[in-house]
Amino acid sequence: MLHKTTIAAVLATTLLAGPVAAIDLDPNLKDYTPTSGVDGNLKSIGSDTLNNLMTLWAEGFKAQYPNVKIEIEGKGSSTAPPALIAGTAQFGPMSRPMRGGEIDNFEQKYGYKPTVIRTAVDALAVFVHKDNPIKCLTLDQVDAIFSKTRKRGLKDDIVTWGDVGLTGEWASMPISLYGRNSASGTYGYFKEAAMAEGDYKDSVKEQPGSSAVVQAVASDKGAIGYSGVGYKTADVRTVPLTTSEGGECFDATADNAYAGDYPITRFLYVYVNKNPGRAMDPLRAEFAKYVLSKQGQEAVIKDGYYPITAEVVKGDFEALGLN
Amino acid sequence: MSAFMNPEQAVADRSAPTAQPRQRASDIRARGEPFTWALGGALGVGCLMIIGFLLMVFWNGVGTFVPKPIAVVTTTGGEITAGEATRTELYRPTPEVVAALSEAARQTIADRDGFAERTLYRIGNFDFYSEDFRWVSAFDVIDVKYPKDIVLVERTEWGPFIGHIESIAVDGEVIALDSVHDPRFAEAHAQARARWSQIQDIERHQIGAVNYRINQQRLTLRRIELKDGRDSQAYSETKRAADAETAELQSEYERLTEQAQALRQRNAGMTVTLEELGGREKTIGIDEIVRTYPANDLSSSEKISIYLSRWWEFLSDEPREANTEGGVMPAIFGTFAMTLLMVIAVAPFGVVTALYLREYATQGRLVAFVRISVNNLAGVPSIVYGVFGLGFFAYVLGGSIDQLFYPERLPNPTFGTGGLLWSALTLALLTVPVVIVATEEALSAVPRSMREGSLACGASKWQTIKYIVLPRALPGIMTGIILAMARGAGEVAPLMLVGVVKLAPELPVDGLFPYIHLERSFMHLGFHIYDVGFQSRNSEAGKPMVFVTTLLLIGLIFVMNISAIVVRNRLKKKFVGSQF
Repeated sequence: MLHKTTIAAVLATTLLAGPVAAIDLDPNLKDYTPTSGVDGNLKSIGSDTLNNLMTLWAEGFKAQYPNVKIEIEGKGSSTAPPALIAGTAQFGPMSRPMRGGEIDNFEQKYGYKPTVIRTAVDALAVFVHKDNPIKCLTLDQVDAIFSKTRKRGLKDDIVTWGDVGLTGEWASMPISLYGRNSASGTYGYFKEAAMAEGDYKDSVKEQPGSSAVVQAVASDKGAIGYSGVGYKTADVRTVPLTTSEGGECFDATADNAYAGDYPITRFLYVYVNKNPGRAMDPLRAEFAKYVLSKQGQEAVIKDGYYPITAEVVKGDFEALGLN
Repeated sequence: MSAFMNPEQAVADRSAPTAQPRQRASDIRARGEPFTWALGGALGVGCLMIIGFLLMVFWNGVGTFVPKPIAVVTTTGGEITAGEATRTELYRPTPEVVAALSEAARQTIADRDGFAERTLYRIGNFDFYSEDFRWVSAFDVIDVKYPKDIVLVERTEWGPFIGHIESIAVDGEVIALDSVHDPRFAEAHAQARARWSQIQDIERHQIGAVNYRINQQRLTLRRIELKDGRDSQAYSETKRAADAETAELQSEYERLTEQAQALRQRNAGMTVTLEELGGREKTIGIDEIVRTYPANDLSSSEKISIYLSRWWEFLSDEPREANTEGGVMPAIFGTFAMTLLMVIAVAPFGVVTALYLREYATQGRLVAFVRISVNNLAGVPSIVYGVFGLGFFAYVLGGSIDQLFYPERLPNPTFGTGGLLWSALTLALLTVPVVIVATEEALSAVPRSMREGSLACGASKWQTIKYIVLPRALPGIMTGIILAMARGAGEVAPLMLVGVVKLAPELPVDGLFPYIHLERSFMHLGFHIYDVGFQSRNSEAGKPMVFVTTLLLIGLIFVMNISAIVVRNRLKKKFVGSQF
């Protein structure tokens, strides 16, 4: 073989640096098999977290059905319900579940509830600058860092890195906060899961997209921010989290997310308007099938999120009335 | 000091005996040179900023597609990192890290005031490592090699691969390659790619046309159903015709699908096995490889050819992998088409308004008020135009058009959502003040004597405007339109509301009736920049694409402006020559 000449000797004694193993798909996921008679237009409006993932699915789906036209718009989860209700979109990707009021509005117009597909697993990561030596944060500390109301009950406010135990040049460094805008599902989910529905501090710099949060954290040494783990770059690191003081810390990895150890894990959803009395039209049904297939879940890995298991897929199929 | 003198004093100074120092002889404000300097300086600073910005964009954009060498770095932990070095920075390692280092390394860091160097490598192989980039600190490095046999493989999925091509399989027969430049690989690759483009052509264009016609049949039928009802004779007749037609198209569709499937089948037999430096292997189809090259073993001419082929791909292909790879052709086309439509809408509208305001309207309070309003319109934030465009054009106008002309497609909106036409009209609204103001200025610059001369010769007012005033004012009007065009082509915020989307590979112009599809959503270079820079999964990998796309957008605006200027100059010559 051609390469053995130069670096075989090195390879014999060493391993390539690969701290993160490739994430494996559930072997029970089905291969997607295309059928005939699928064409038309699809439009998806909703989450920014799912924006790239929707695009990857659209690309994959279009490779199967070249004449399907898919348009994707991702400006925040809160834009999904109105679009579904108005009928301007057939799919509404959301990074949080729909709220009661949104479901009610939908039901008022159509007489039935929207159907939800769980499409991927995301460990909502807390990012810091890559040089930040912080080992672990408790959720209470995260709450005290981001929230002005501190509903999780930590007594003192946290404003510098010294307050969470860092020393040296970090001790007096103020924590600068980055987050998402309020249309975002990530904003809502973080508020619920990490802050017990408390209020964000006024000093949180709200960014228009998940990638913008990561970029802001990458260029600000004292920064902390949250967004989907899929947006991680080499310039930031994720902070391991724990639920209780002194408890074991878990980093945002696939295994910890699946085991439920990582405390702020969530599903990423896609909502559809499906009349429970009728079968879904072939175009949307096939797209949903594609998303939940092996190929669709491979795209999830490609986008940095974690694939769902065959068990979850089964539940989704039932909800959609597919087989 | 002298700058603050009052004029009387200055005059007194000037008349004073020459024993006074020369520079105090006159007021600085009267002399003017300092102001020349200040003005020149301001111009200089302005130019410097513009040139600096352009150079930055140009330098970063032009360098993106240059094939870079791949370093294989061995670090103290025995780990190997292979990748393209992208950037280097200084940082301060933590005391614990420093304490664990060797004496020599600690000394080096101490000599640099506690700073150490690290390099970011683009390591590719995302399917193996779950990361695209990795930092390597200089004190960890044992050695850096540039082996000649390492290759970079650009794939249609999963991003670049760095490692070795182990073997290829052609129709089930495995061929082990004995050099990077093995012609058998190039041959197989060319074959597979040729078949791949054939499949693309069948699926996109031929099947596309068939599907379009099937859909058209369905819509015609639906239209008649809405008009005459299901029980009418017209409906049953059309249904019979449509069914026959559809059946025929269906068999055509199946024939084409089979053809594509056969090609796919042949390509499925052609695979390539890649091996990364850690020894893990992956087998992919040869047609999934866009290009591959031995990064450390390239002659200058090979480098240039890779560079050019990457540019060509960027300009002529569709985006891949959620817009982070591939080309931007749909975005170039969308930007161009939208700007052109906008000019078609804004030019007559703006010019007619200005003509009336300047030539016909009685100059009174009302006209002054209108003029102020027009100027204020130029100051309204562009996003407000976007909201207006969405609410009025898309929802109200578009919604009504759908009700009237496309009832068979409802509830799927045709014009009742963002699209090319509404975007162009929204931007036309945004830029119309520029055209009005420029045209008014140009009209008022036409000498009164010329108009009077024309009127005295017996020409009517309209004749005067048409033959005397407009030709004279045309260069100024064109300047206004050029400004409007430049402003419109670079605008993004309102477009996000009225029709620009992340992914819309269908061009608004194609070979299917009615050929120009003004209702389609489109891609735009400006939005593409925002999307790749701030929305893509890996912002680091997206950065070079941002620069290239910016370069392209600036280039496109430049080309459009230049052509408008050429047209203006021609008109100028033509009209000036033909006048008196």
